[in-house]
Formats: sequence, structure tokens, C-alpha cells
Amino acid sequence: MPKKYNIEVIPTPPRHTPIGKFEIERGADCINCGRCAIVCIYEVHKRQEEDLRSMAEPVVYRCKGCFSCIQECPRATLTIRDGTDYSRLGDSYWTPEIINTNWYQAETGKIPVSGAGYRGPFSGEGFDSMWTDMSEIVRPTRDGIHGREYISTVVEIGRKLPAIKFDSHGEIVSPIPSTINVPLPIIFDMLPFGRFENVYGAMAKAASYLDTFMIVDAREGFMGEGQKAKGKRQKARWEESHLIPYITQPTIHGFDVDWINACKMVELEYEEDVMGVVNEVKTLNPGTSISVRVPFGDNVAGIVEELTYAGIEVIHLYADLNGQTFGKSLIKNASQQTFRKSLLIKDMTQNVHRHLVDLKIRDDVTLIVSGGIAMAEHVAKAIICGADLTAIDLPLLFALECRYCKNCQEDLACPVELKDVNSEWGAQRMINLIGAWRNQLLEILGAMGLREVRRLRGEVGRAIFLENIEKETFDNVFAREVSHDANG
Amino acid sequence: MPTVKKAPSRFPNEISEIEVTRDVSKCISCGTCAKVCPFGVHERKTGYNRVSKPLSYLCIGTSCEDKPFYCVNHCPREALSLGVSSEYRTIGDYRWTRDLIIGTWKQAETGIPLKGQRYEIGNSGGGFDRISFNFQDSEGRGEMGGEDMARTSHLTPHTSGAISTEIELNKREGKKLSIKVPFYGGGMSFGSVSLSVMLAKAKAARAWSTFTCTGEGGYPEALKEYDDNVITQVATGLFGVMEDTIQRVKIVEFKYAQGAKPGLGGHLLGDKVTVEVARMREAVEGSSLFSPFPFHSVYSVEDHKKHLDWIKELNPDAIVSVKVSTPTDVDMVAVGSYYAGANIIHLDGSYGGTGAAPDIAKKNIAMPIEYAIPKVHEFLKLEGLRDTMTIIASGGIRTAHDALKAIALGADGVVIGTVELVALGCVRCGNCESGRGCPRGIATTDPELSKAIDLEWGAQRLINLYAAWRSEIVDVLKRFGMKSIKELVGRYDCLIENHEITQD
Repeated sequence: MPKKYNIEVIPTPPRHTPIGKFEIERGADCINCGRCAIVCIYEVHKRQEEDLRSMAEPVVYRCKGCFSCIQECPRATLTIRDGTDYSRLGDSYWTPEIINTNWYQAETGKIPVSGAGYRGPFSGEGFDSMWTDMSEIVRPTRDGIHGREYISTVVEIGRKLPAIKFDSHGEIVSPIPSTINVPLPIIFDMLPFGRFENVYGAMAKAASYLDTFMIVDAREGFMGEGQKAKGKRQKARWEESHLIPYITQPTIHGFDVDWINACKMVELEYEEDVMGVVNEVKTLNPGTSISVRVPFGDNVAGIVEELTYAGIEVIHLYADLNGQTFGKSLIKNASQQTFRKSLLIKDMTQNVHRHLVDLKIRDDVTLIVSGGIAMAEHVAKAIICGADLTAIDLPLLFALECRYCKNCQEDLACPVELKDVNSEWGAQRMINLIGAWRNQLLEILGAMGLREVRRLRGEVGRAIFLENIEKETFDNVFAREVSHDANG
Repeated sequence: MPTVKKAPSRFPNEISEIEVTRDVSKCISCGTCAKVCPFGVHERKTGYNRVSKPLSYLCIGTSCEDKPFYCVNHCPREALSLGVSSEYRTIGDYRWTRDLIIGTWKQAETGIPLKGQRYEIGNSGGGFDRISFNFQDSEGRGEMGGEDMARTSHLTPHTSGAISTEIELNKREGKKLSIKVPFYGGGMSFGSVSLSVMLAKAKAARAWSTFTCTGEGGYPEALKEYDDNVITQVATGLFGVMEDTIQRVKIVEFKYAQGAKPGLGGHLLGDKVTVEVARMREAVEGSSLFSPFPFHSVYSVEDHKKHLDWIKELNPDAIVSVKVSTPTDVDMVAVGSYYAGANIIHLDGSYGGTGAAPDIAKKNIAMPIEYAIPKVHEFLKLEGLRDTMTIIASGGIRTAHDALKAIALGADGVVIGTVELVALGCVRCGNCESGRGCPRGIATTDPELSKAIDLEWGAQRLINLYAAWRSEIVDVLKRFGMKSIKELVGRYDCLIENHEITQD
């Protein structure tokens, strides 16, 4: 039996004081009785060390919002409110909850667990409009992360044959295309900001430990940890490299031939005559896998079809940071009016996947999907919608305590000093984050009774889509068909 | 019917919407406010010069403005003012809004149902929160066209006669069993909640002739006097399951899955496995207990039947309930359970409560109960089994209105859990799982913290809550012109979809 893939997580505390969900204020008429310190089990309230007669300022970031001190205070002089800094984190897509939960996972490497039921809206847009299925009794299921059965998260990047041909001696005659195995369906995408040497260093270390890949813009010249060593040694490092150089406008720009030669995979920006460059790279290094980076937008399914027929084995479909597609697509509403609207990767991935399935060429190409992958659940859901694997960006910065304040985009100082991050510390935080994400993926797979993530791809039967279930059940319930039999 | 007795909050400062502020720099302690306020917001205790801090939660709010006893108008120094409290703005979430939490507290205190949309639905924007009752009386909120009016014109309110809220739990052959209210208490194990919470639930269940459930953590000795109102749970971990516990009860519940963590076993994190909990579960103190998923002895309906036969062998009179989560094939599961011999199919929807579950599971796995109920109801009808199976729904039943909607969607009754804990003072902070457990002393077995809940007080709060729910249920049935809750089952025509509902 092959060695189990295991991500070792090591608790790695943040460098800065965390941002608390709540703020607590002690009023002027506090009598320093210390009741709050007794009832608080999170050590928010303490006496002042230098003067035990008075209470210290509350350590607000520890507050978990249980209201005990508020309700027990004999003078009713404590006030609680939602944390101002907390509620200002991120934006409407990258919500404070998403940022905070990624921080927690980067620190602890643990799956976020909590008590009480789900607290959020019934459903929402995109991935929030689908639920994953589970199997109840009859399908043998594994125990998720606590089980003894091994659930595989390996995905293969490259072309897969629908069937293998044998000759009369039983020898394989089909040429088997080479594939790259990645032990988990997550690779690191280019960062929207925070592109500092040490951040890249952390990403490269984490990618190497996890045995996954990181895409780097070739123009930025980051060639991994080995770039300073010259000569033969350098090439050896590259071959073990977990970098995927990304080449923009490859038909115009040149590229470092030595480097391309040494990489397992290269990503090219989509252009109409990209095939010329593809062939050039293939000639240079026939072993290289080539991915073409295509924006989700109008006619993306057509482009994917064309590239696949042309022989491209990997296509990286990307949306914007919030998982919205570029440009507006023509949509027809219920009353047959057409209008233009950005779509979300949940729907677009399904469209592309189905198109390829209809053409019977789905396994000719590997689809990497990125843009707005913010939580572990998005990985599973993107795969259900038809992706083979996903690429992530912002969550890696969250692992480094990024608050997504967007200060850096306005040339203001970074509150968590991203460019001073220690690469070792950063790498461990990213490893923790991915370890927690992977465990959550295992939980979902276990609940569905699946033993490998490859089987999840396009398994829409293992998902419940809001629009379908609403129609299926509530059309009947609220349908104006009358049924008066009381007890059915 | 059990007696409703006032059971006020155990905290000196109850959280409420309105905050009455007294500016102490202006107040001259004349005591006028204490004299005028009929609700006891202001009080000057005998022997004291100063008026006590206002008890804001007793205040009726801005509706007092035009009353002759409005303290703000009477104060000679204009030292008093009303405002929205900061606590009120902070508490609550989409599913359990601030008003649902505070409203539940009030009902548990007084036993009187609260009227108004904000006490009836949450703010989740879907499911129960987007369904309204299709009342046809003058107060009706339904907005319908002529066709709809014709469809429901037979629904005329009647006021005379007693209205029954009793439901049957066993519709198959064998011993009949019914409960007086269409709800019973959900499984919460010893370990996930304190013993006094379990006992308070059992006591309230006995008072109302309904049931409570042990959860999967064993059957504490102290629960034995409530045997006739206790459901013992057999879950995948089989913690504390013994022949004796199966033989002493009237209902045995098989927990295949839980709505909050479908496809995952129970979670009791190490910190909560105290000496007593470990002894009850025959486990090791301090070590996390993760139940397996699923029953590893059940991979088919035949295996399932074998389990049920085993129960019936031990306790031939037992009613067997099968608790499942809500996957896409939940309807098939329900039919399978029927053929295995179950009396009750208990559907636990995906937004249900829990002592600890991965967040990813709570939000994403399996479908909300609102979809599962009609799905199973319709399928059982098609199979001709609806009259022999009892459908019980849970997983996000927060109010009497949710319960009624679940029944109108096709359930016979509901199971409640979170709302009971809220009645006992839960603020839904969600920290039940870690460290010493619940900071409010409810979902904890910490010897210090669990003292916070007094058994008698807790039982009274639950009795009051049940009373409030029952009155509300009776009231709605009356408006529909029904004499029994059984008439409401599967009456889709009593519901309308309301796209307009938004709060805040």
C-alpha cells in the first residue's frame, strides 16, 4: 500500500494581536468588584497587575460574545458591541467570517468546529446556492478524517485515455500521455498583491512540502529557492521545482529557455495563435505539461473546445477575485427577455464541463478553476461543478495575517507588514491552512461515501442545487393545484 | 395542563431591545419615575435614597410615549431617555434573530405567546422565513387573488369547542402512543449538556405528557424517574447503550445521522469528557469522542431491519424512531425504514443544532428540512404508507410557527432542541464545544459552570415555553377553523410563499 499522504500541522501563532469580533467597554461607574472576572471563562476581564484594586481594560479580542459579564455586572456598566475593525474586514465577498476562519485554520491547522446550528442566510449566490449530498445508510461510507479507510485526494493533471488498446500479445499499444499527480486538488495561483520575495518564498516552501504547485508570473523572475545557486545545481533544483512559470502574451514575449526546459509545467496566456508557442515549448521540452490560461467570459466553452481539439491537455479557467466571470453574458429570464450579466464560476464551470461531456472529450483535458475560492467548501463545490482541481490566491495571504484592507493597492502601509514575513513561519501557516482545508474535503467526501476526489468531478448527482430543489418541492407545495385530502 | 408560573431571567441584567438611561448628573433621586412606572422599571428600595438602576427589560419601549405614565415625560430634570441597547444590536444571527432569542426568553418567563412577525420568523431569507400562513380572517396576512380565495374559502374560523394538539406516534399495529403537544425534546447527550438541563427537559416533558431524548451519551441514573417520558437513543457510537436502557423506555430512537453534521459521527471534544461523562460512556476521561459514521453494521435495509428486530426483541412494546438526515434520497430512506419496521421517521434537516460540528458540515451537507418534509410526505403517500408512518421533523424549528409550517408541509409533529436551550438562557454564541464548554452553564458538564442552571427553574422555563407554543398553535388552528392539529398535516393550501419578507 502506498504511503498515506499526510499534512503535518504545527500550531503557529499570529504575529499581531488578533482582531476581535466584539468590543467591550467598561463604564465609569465600575466598582471594581471583579464579578466579570469570575463569570468570564475566556479571561477577557482581569485585575490590573500593578494595582489589584482596579480592573484592567478588557482584553477584547478574547471575547466570544457570551454576554455573561454584561448580564452579571451588578452595576450594569459593561457594554458589548460588534467589533468595528472586525466588521470592516474584507468586503461583501471576502467577508469578515471568511477571513477570520482562514486565520484560525492557518494558526491551528484545525477544522473550524463550533456549537449551535448554522447561523447564516438560508442560501445565497454562487456556491451558496448548492448543498453537497451525503449517504445515509445503504451506501458504505468511510469515516472522514477519523476513519481508518484512506480517502485519496490525488488528482492527475493531463490527458486521460478513454480506453487502452492492446495488441495480440497483450502489450499496450496506445501511447499513454504523461500526467502529473498532485496529492490534493489545490494549487497556488498568482497573487493579486503582496508579491514580495519572502511571500513567494513562503509559498514555494509550502508548495514544495505539500507537493503541489505554485504559478508565478515569469516576468517577476522568482525562480524558487534555488535561483541564487548557479550552474548544474540550479537545474537540479528546478527539476524538483514546484513552480509553474506563467508567460503573458507568449507570442510576443520571449522566455527563458533554460527555465522552461527544467519545469514540469508551464502556463501560457490564451491568445488566438497560442498553439504556435505551445508547439515551440513542446519542441524544447517534450515532457512539459502545458496549461493555457483562459478567462471565464463569453464563449469560454467554445475556446476550451477548440483548444482541446488542438491538443491542449490542461486549461486553467480563471474568474476575477470574487469568482465572477469577465464580461457580461447574454441571459434569458423567465419572460424570455434577454439581458447581460456576469456569471459566477459555479455556473460557468458547469457549462464548460457539460459542453466537454457532450462532445465526449471531457477526459482529454484537465480543468483548473480559480477565482473566488475562499473556503474549503468551495474546492469541493467547484469540483462537483466540473473542475478537476482549483487554484487559490487570497487565502494564502490570509494565512500570512492579511486583512484585505487594500491599503497596499493605494500605496499605504500594510498593517501586518507582509513584506517582512518570515518565510518559514509563513510556509507553516500556509501548510496549516491547506491541511485544514484538506481535512474538510475529506469530511465531505466521507459523508458522501466517496473514496477519491477524482470521482467527485462533475458529480452533480451528489449535490443539491437550490433552483432545482425549490422547483421540485415548492412548485408542488405552492402550485395552485388543489388537494384537500387532509391527512394525505 | 401544567401550571405556568413566572420564571424570570437568572441574570440581574436581562438583555432587551430598549435601554432606559438615567443621567446620574441630572437625577435628583426624587423617585417620581418609580411612582409612575407600572412595570417596575424604576424602583426605589425602601430605606434607600437613590433610585436603582433602571430594569430596562421590563420597559415596554416607545409604545409608552403616549401613555400617561411615561417616565421620560414625568421626570422633572429630563434625566431619563430611551434608546436601543447595544446588547440588542449585537445579539443574534440570520437564523436566530435578536427578536427570536429575546422573544423565546420572554415566552419562557411568562408562558404567553408573543405576536408579530419578528417573533415568528427569522431573517435567513429562505425556507420557513419565506413562508406565511394563508389566513382568511380579518387579520390575515395572505395576499391572494380570486382563484386562491376560492381554493381556501372552506377555511372559516370557528371558535367553539376544544382544539386538540395531540398527535399519534405509532400508526402501525401494536401499542398506541400519543403525545399531548405536537413536539418533543431532541436528543442532547449527557456530556453535551449538563445533568440539570437533561432533568429540566425531562420534567417539562412529563408535565406536558410528551418526551425528551437522552442523546447518545447514556442514561444517567437521575433520569430514571422520568422513564415514561424519555426516549433512549442508540447512535453509531453506542455510548451507554445497555439492555436495561432499552427495556425501560417507551420509545427507542436510532440515530443514523444528525442534521447539523450529516455523514459525520457525533463530536464530543476532549475537554468536555469529564470523569462522570467518561464513566457513563465507558470511555477515557479527557479524550475526544468521535462517533463513527454510519453504523458499520448497517449497509442495507436488511441490516437496518436486523437492528430494529434486536430492539423489538429486547422491548416488544417499544416504538422505534429512526432519525436520519436529509440527503437527496431521503424519501427512499424513509420507505426503507418502514420496511425495516420503524414507527417514526425522524427527519433532521441540515440547519439543525449541535453541541459541536465542523462549520463546513453545518452549512453545506444535505438539504434544509423545508424541502425534505414535503419530499418524504409525498413519497410515502405515493407508496401508500403515509397512514402507517409518523413523520417527525427537526433541524431549525425555532418557533411555534415553524412547527406549524413543518406540519402543514407534511410532518405529523416536530422535535425541538435549540429553542429549549435558548429558553434556558442560551445566547447562541456557539462556544459549546471548547474548553469548559458553555459559558452560560447550559451545554457543559464543568462542575462549576453547570451549577448555573437550577433544575426547578429550568423545568419551569420549559413548561412555560411549551405553554406559549401550545397557545399559539391552538390560536392558529382556530383561525384556520380546525379542531385538531392532525387536520393541518400536509395542508399546503394553508401556506403561501412570501417573497417580500425582510427584516432589519
